[in-house]
Amino acid sequence: MHSVTPALRVRDLCKRYEDLTAVDGISLDVERGDFFGFLGPNGAGKTTTINAVVGLATITSGTIEVFGHDNVRHWREARRLIGLSPQEYNFDRYLSIRDVLIYQAGYYGLRGPAVRKRASDLLERFGLSSKANDTFVKLSGGMKRRLTLARALIHEPQLLILDEPTAGVDVELRIELWSMLRELNLGGTTIILTTHYLEEAESLCRNVAIIESGRLVALEPTEKLLARRGSTTLSVTVERPLDPIPPVLLARGARYDPETRTLRFEGIEPSAIAPALAELDAHGYAIENVDFKRSSLQDVFLDLVGH
Amino acid sequence: MIRTDVWGFRNPVGLWTLVKRELFRTYKVINQVIWPPIITTILYVLVFGLGLGSRVQNVQGVSYAAFLIPGLIMLQVIDQTYGESSSSLFQGRFMNSIQELLVAPLSAVEMVTGFVLAAVLRALLIAFLILGVGYVMVHTLPRDWALYFAMTVLVATLFGSIGIIFGLLAEKFDHIAVFTTFVITPLVFVGGVFTSAQFLPPFVRQVSLFNPMFYMIDAFRYSFTGRSDVSVPISVAIVTALTAAALGTALRMTALGVKLRM
Repeated sequence: MHSVTPALRVRDLCKRYEDLTAVDGISLDVERGDFFGFLGPNGAGKTTTINAVVGLATITSGTIEVFGHDNVRHWREARRLIGLSPQEYNFDRYLSIRDVLIYQAGYYGLRGPAVRKRASDLLERFGLSSKANDTFVKLSGGMKRRLTLARALIHEPQLLILDEPTAGVDVELRIELWSMLRELNLGGTTIILTTHYLEEAESLCRNVAIIESGRLVALEPTEKLLARRGSTTLSVTVERPLDPIPPVLLARGARYDPETRTLRFEGIEPSAIAPALAELDAHGYAIENVDFKRSSLQDVFLDLVGH
Repeated sequence: MIRTDVWGFRNPVGLWTLVKRELFRTYKVINQVIWPPIITTILYVLVFGLGLGSRVQNVQGVSYAAFLIPGLIMLQVIDQTYGESSSSLFQGRFMNSIQELLVAPLSAVEMVTGFVLAAVLRALLIAFLILGVGYVMVHTLPRDWALYFAMTVLVATLFGSIGIIFGLLAEKFDHIAVFTTFVITPLVFVGGVFTSAQFLPPFVRQVSLFNPMFYMIDAFRYSFTGRSDVSVPISVAIVTALTAAALGTALRMTALGVKLRM
């Protein structure tokens, strides 16, 4: 079968700074159209890896390909395809907000009425039109965040890399940004996201990589990672004490706490919930309360990185 | 690691955008970088040229004030070109806004050319404005326009490149001022802005031959007075060699990503 070149292919990436190894042999593929989460504790090597991909850091060894273009040998093609929204604000403070976008397009070799129109459209879409002629310092925190996204999109990149895009923004804006990112992803843009907010990765990312001390400790679909590493618990409280406990429920791994009249099923598959409840009903036990818990990406993350 | 295509000129729009950005920055800080050299020049001409100079006999066949004008143009071109390119680059590094260029498909040669071209255009503007002052106050103009432009462009390229080198090396603003204070200002002042070498004691005259500013000012002044202390082709050759060395160093440092790419 002919395989499509991935949006990003990293092979054996190493980055050393004198006596510090920041990235230690990472290999991963991000497929076209993916929404990919790149997670790890502070100092794990996330930003260094991203800097190596976008060309802000040189690499010690290994290769990086962006849509099949080697980012050292064919760096111009690779860079044209990437849009970066960095963690730290790095705007040109002499330029107006509109010019920030127009000049950035210029550095990518684009100019003319089409660029001016795209800049206006992006300002409109990100709610920045009223500030178009102000400089970056006059923007609120949320507006600065939105501007990093608008600037990353001005040259219509196919791979959008977001380094902590919602750091320091309020809940309302975070949800707004999530919806903007989902929309972009639906439109075909491949997105790579690093974040400290694991519920963000869980909600947005189809695939995740977890990195610690410069090495990958997990790389798989979010759902699969949660299913494999996570746990589930079903707790059912019945109205009158269970006596005796139906053997079929014991066979399903249920444990009964007579004090709280609660049956607990650890590691139960979601598909087994309805049959278990039906079994209780068949034995004439009315159900008082049902609670189903599933470990979050945060639990899996903490388990994997050993904190 | 040097990227294989690092020397390519394939993004002219990107390069021109960088030039425009640098000139826009100059416009935004015009009270720091354009008016001061003009005001300073007017004061020098008034106090030294027309005031004290009226008591000095002709130098190289022209009045002292007319002798002073080309030296003052070189003084300001050197000072402002170095100051602007070093501080713009350093500020970009300090505020990380240089990353806007580093993530874009711009080669090292396109980046350096952008900074240097902006430095040359700024230098031509400053030279033109001082020339206007000279024409109004002492009625002097270049006789050899080709040499006038060649020297302005060469010297601006040289100090634009040195500005890039120091803008890359500096860890704080203070480091940029070190080169101005301890190298540019002393060498320019003893390099013939205010006096001809013929007025210097023989020993000092010999020492000036080791001062590169002396050749810049001497050849540039020749474009006004038609006279020089040393042969003009020799001066032009020395300045060209220095310019090539500085430009080469700035290019190599940018290509290697020195203090630019982590």
